[in-house]
Amino acid sequence: MDAVEKANTERQKRWVKDQKVGEGTYAVVYRGREASTNRKVAIKKIKVGQFKDGLDMSAIREVKYLRELKHQNVIELLDVFSSKTNLNLVLEFLDSDLEMIIKDRSLVFLPADIKSWIAMTFRGLEFCHRNWILHRDLKPNNLLIASDGQLKIADFGLARDFADPGYKMTCQVITRWYRPPELLYGCRYYSTAVDIWSVGCIFAELMLRTPYLAGESDMDQLKTIFRALGTPSEQEWPGHTKLPDYVPMGQFPKQPLRDLFTAASADTLNLLGQCLVYEPRKRITAKDALHHAYFFALPYPSHPTKLPKCAAQLTAALPLEELDGNTLTGKTSRLKRKLTSPSDDTKTRPAVARRLDFTKPTPGS
Amino acid sequence: MAALKIPKPFYEASTQFKNWRYSPQSLAQVRSSLNAAAVAVIRNTFEADEPGSSSAVSFLAPDEELLLVRLYVSKITQLCGFFRFPEEVEATAVSYLKRFYLKNTVMDWHPKNVMYGPPMRSLTALFLATKTTNNPISLEAYTNNIPKTNPSDVLDLEFLVAQSLGFEFAVWHAHRALWGIWLDLQNAPDAPPNRAASQSEVYDTALRHVRASRLSDAELIYTPSQIALASLSMASPELMAEWAASKFPADSPSLSMLQSTLASITTLIESAARPVDVEAVRGVDLRLKLCKNPEKVVGSKAYLAKKAEEERKAEEKRNRKAAVDVQGAMEEGDPFGDELAGRLVDYDDDDDDD
Repeated sequence: MDAVEKANTERQKRWVKDQKVGEGTYAVVYRGREASTNRKVAIKKIKVGQFKDGLDMSAIREVKYLRELKHQNVIELLDVFSSKTNLNLVLEFLDSDLEMIIKDRSLVFLPADIKSWIAMTFRGLEFCHRNWILHRDLKPNNLLIASDGQLKIADFGLARDFADPGYKMTCQVITRWYRPPELLYGCRYYSTAVDIWSVGCIFAELMLRTPYLAGESDMDQLKTIFRALGTPSEQEWPGHTKLPDYVPMGQFPKQPLRDLFTAASADTLNLLGQCLVYEPRKRITAKDALHHAYFFALPYPSHPTKLPKCAAQLTAALPLEELDGNTLTGKTSRLKRKLTSPSDDTKTRPAVARRLDFTKPTPGS
Repeated sequence: MAALKIPKPFYEASTQFKNWRYSPQSLAQVRSSLNAAAVAVIRNTFEADEPGSSSAVSFLAPDEELLLVRLYVSKITQLCGFFRFPEEVEATAVSYLKRFYLKNTVMDWHPKNVMYGPPMRSLTALFLATKTTNNPISLEAYTNNIPKTNPSDVLDLEFLVAQSLGFEFAVWHAHRALWGIWLDLQNAPDAPPNRAASQSEVYDTALRHVRASRLSDAELIYTPSQIALASLSMASPELMAEWAASKFPADSPSLSMLQSTLASITTLIESAARPVDVEAVRGVDLRLKLCKNPEKVVGSKAYLAKKAEEERKAEEKRNRKAAVDVQGAMEEGDPFGDELAGRLVDYDDDDDDD
């Protein structure tokens, strides 16, 4: 046996698959453990044999970026090994995600809890951006929660390095409700600001306990945004009418954030507003956000271990579909909730984006 | 570095820094032990096939293997020119190939014909690089443009290449570092106006040196920015000095250390720039045909024996699994019920738990 195969077999032996917890078109997720320590892990087995172009792009992206990123607020990729025609990613085990927590009606969020989750999100994101990586699919479902309450950014299947200025990227990224207006207008040159918009939407969702800007189609998404934040003027967002897919949407007046977020402090609304600035270049950066007055004002962020947890998280044997909410199916109430929610389209949306990206015959995505 | 209070560079967190950095001595060590292990294995295979047969074989020495790898690297450049791939794809594929041959030997994985067809390892490394750098091309479009290549030739090796790389796909390149230095120089306080245009030939020359460095071991020993800086100093010692002066105090000990590093890189680049001795390579290639691992030569006796052994093991595993499954169904009460139907021996079962 070759040295490389031998090393692979050794890696494989380090991990034990215990139980299949989800299966989808391209991946099966197992709950498992490290043989020597019994440390709990999640093993995501990606079926590679079925792709005519070999290892698929989302698996490659996930492995490429997670291999390089080590941060408390980014999911840890512990190992990678192959078995026959499968690629296995060994990830740290995380019990739940922010979507589950938001939707658990029995939980009450304090302003300090929301501050803590948003702080952890910005910390993880600032680290990605500092490493020149755009996530491009931030949403509550991709923010996983560890048993100690730490929030971890997961699912790097759509991530990429920043392109040089002037180098085109695809605008078919980010789940619709969290997608910024520049991408909806077909902008092909963009940067970290796209992820910041998503964080703004998540921030609002934590306060509202329901998705903030839930459009029913790409067109409707823009209308939903404008209805909430007002139609941007040329002054507010110079040049947006020149974007490839620009269409006039009608004039909507700006609704003060205060009208919807009645209980929020001025600092809260200021940071939220800065995440949802139309002009991408004026949107706050992750680094500046971490220095925003909101995080230094009372109440201080809750300690992660004190954050609300959903009931399901406290009982064992959870499905790990959150490892890839787009493809996996499970058997719990969480799945039922997902099926009945309009967010069903999130199951196909990123998949479409991936497919578009993947089949692109020429450079430029 | 510590004296200058420079925070730990981000580069040091990369897998490239952690896992693909060698000293010239450790690099030689890795190659010679890889070579020795391969020779031992292949010798055994020859002996098993026909006792006494290995004594007549002249195996390749580590330097000779390296000579072939250099040739494969140059083929990648040609292919990238043909496909008009961006520089990042080419540089990444070259790094992949070099890393691959730090884990595999040329004697195990030899292309059918080095001189006339691009070696398959290179093709797979290049195809993988198009994907990892986000410049994907369909496999069909890729292989259609390369004579005598089928999609399966590339795919069959993709896993082996990815495994050899430790699934560490991110590579940091000297040409990017050079671009960064070039941007620094344009922003320098006393830069002449429009330096980008007026001194563009310096950048072009430095870039040529960076490209030449890809044929050397430089990237396995030095950081991308060291290679870039050496290339710049070869193109224009004055500009290199200007840049260094902006980064280090004049009496900094780092500066003299840097000078000696740059000198070593310059030597590597200069020797890499010399054309490969085609006759020498041809000779090595001819000998390789006689000493490559017979287990990897499709159709050979050793190859067939290895395949048969693998098949026997797989069959054994399936039978064991089937026995367990049937037994399980019996224990559950109804060996003829629906349960069993779904538990028949599954030849496609790719579960690796057992």
